Amino acid sequence: MTVLTDNARDHRQRFDLQTFLVRFGLFFLLAATLILFALLRPTFISVGNINDMMRSASIAAIMFLGLTWIVAAGEIDVSFMSVAALANMLVAGLVQAGFGWPVASLGGLAVGVVFGLVNGGLVAIFRLPALVITIATGGLAGSIAAAIGLGTSISLSSTGFVGAALQTNIGIIPLVALVVVVLYAIAYFIQEHLTFGHYLYAMEQNRAAVVEAGIPVNRILFLLYILSGVASAVAGILLTADLSSGQPYIGGSYFIDGLTSVLLGGMALKYGKPNVVGTIAAVLLLAALLSGAALLGWTDSQRQIVRGMLLLFGVAFVVWARRKNRAHI
Amino acid sequence: MTEALKLPPILLRLGAFIGLLAVIAAVFQFFAPAYLSNANLHALLRHMSVNGLAAIGLTFVIVVRHFDLSFPGVASLGAMTLGWLLAMGHGLGVSISGGIAVGVLAGVINGTAVAYFKLPDIVTTIATGGVAVGLSYFYSNGTSISENFFMSGILDLNDAKMLTLDMPVVILLCSAVVAFIILHASRYGRAFYATGENKLSAIFSGVRVKAYILAAFALCGASACLAITLLVASSGAANVTAGSQLLMPAFAAVYLGAALFGAPSIPATLAGTLLMSAMLNGFTLLAIPYYYSDAIVSTVLIGAIAIFDPKLTAMLTGMVTGRTTAR
Repeated sequence: MTVLTDNARDHRQRFDLQTFLVRFGLFFLLAATLILFALLRPTFISVGNINDMMRSASIAAIMFLGLTWIVAAGEIDVSFMSVAALANMLVAGLVQAGFGWPVASLGGLAVGVVFGLVNGGLVAIFRLPALVITIATGGLAGSIAAAIGLGTSISLSSTGFVGAALQTNIGIIPLVALVVVVLYAIAYFIQEHLTFGHYLYAMEQNRAAVVEAGIPVNRILFLLYILSGVASAVAGILLTADLSSGQPYIGGSYFIDGLTSVLLGGMALKYGKPNVVGTIAAVLLLAALLSGAALLGWTDSQRQIVRGMLLLFGVAFVVWARRKNRAHI
Repeated sequence: MTEALKLPPILLRLGAFIGLLAVIAAVFQFFAPAYLSNANLHALLRHMSVNGLAAIGLTFVIVVRHFDLSFPGVASLGAMTLGWLLAMGHGLGVSISGGIAVGVLAGVINGTAVAYFKLPDIVTTIATGGVAVGLSYFYSNGTSISENFFMSGILDLNDAKMLTLDMPVVILLCSAVVAFIILHASRYGRAFYATGENKLSAIFSGVRVKAYILAAFALCGASACLAITLLVASSGAANVTAGSQLLMPAFAAVYLGAALFGAPSIPATLAGTLLMSAMLNGFTLLAIPYYYSDAIVSTVLIGAIAIFDPKLTAMLTGMVTGRTTAR
């Protein structure tokens, strides 16, 4: 009897080490990346660089919040970056046309709501294929964004109250980073401690079973797409102030980043289930990579390959870890 | 109304396709009298051959119920490989084979990851597409390649004619015939469809499901690179962003065709491509900027999926005949 329990405990303990590595590997990777870049280029950990990094990571984190939950619920949205680009261009266009920043920001938010409604309506209510629908709505948003500036960017002379808020620092930490931390803390509470969050995980596992349990799956999905649209639009508005211009093709660089963050983040803590803590860690990793790569003089294409490889290995690792541990979770 | 509904479905669908094509042609003919001229129809078909080839490859992947989002990136890599090989002084055959080999290799990587390692298709192909775009920068640091193009004769791929048809159209037709035979006139085609319909019963019917998924991805990569070869031939330079314009028209063509004819197939894809190219060519003729035409392509894609979706159609027919749909 004693031997038996001993064996069982031993087994579990050995297992725990592996589990630990799988669950916290992303955080180690993040720490290792930060330390490596700091050693190679001391300017990497200068106050200004850290400040910049946190600001750009915060904007990305806002953009990917809705996406994290959509992917966690087993659906996909590939229109988020184009919605951000459209909000970005619309705000720039409205400001240039003489409307104030408040009106322009409301316009940008409206873009997010409209595209969220369209995506949610078509995917959640009419049950059309999410990938193709969001490719199409993303294309639509992207082309409207290009049409606003007639194919070129719009540069602005003032960044209004959004710019002022974005540049506010508390110590060396930008205010927007604190807002993101609060936002993600709330999101963490909702996803891990409220039934709503459990529905998300359950929908990914078995949509039909969740429907049979009497949960309004379509309404939840609808809300998720609206959330994703609004979050992307907010990020787009912030980008307008951050770049003090409207860039119609800004979406492209966020596309792989968004999916990499969500899926790589899913690797952390939850064995491949996208969660907000993982997303923010992955966003920080990508921001560090961007900044460090620039300091080391890597070209864009080299960074692109690194990101693609990260995504590929992240996914492979998740699938491997899940299959190996399925019986034990 | 009820009489019309009693016609054989294929006639109805064919009628809808011809009707749509006629409407598009009439609208553009009205605004741009040069639309139906001989020269423009040649341009239209040349345009169609690039998108059609990419869409034919994608059809295989859609038939096995997977997605490939990597083919635009892979096509860019293929284009740069082709351009680099030509610039190095290799012959036309070697260079084109090299470009297509890149596509096959990328397709095999995708297919292995998805079929054998069971990785999720969307994310995997996004990642491999990203890596392919990154790799395509290595040949020339991102500048376009056009050395030796005139000497090598690649431009003849675009300019040569065969029986009054342009060479790209001939290549599209040959590829379509081959794809048609594979998918619709051989047991391999049945196996592709069986894999897509029900993987488990396909396995028990003796279909090597994994091999077919792998083959579908490989065909998709290869045909994307063949498509980009034609694009490189027509523009006279290999470009790192060449592939990015393939994604939306190819998906739109496959889904528009599948929506019109009820299921993805080679004729349906060709019909979808023809509709898309008829529209895009018209917009080019009217000198409408690309961003408006992109918006219209997306709207058409959304509309096609929504209107021809069986659930929505059932709902609408129910409304027309005054019955509520059973829930």
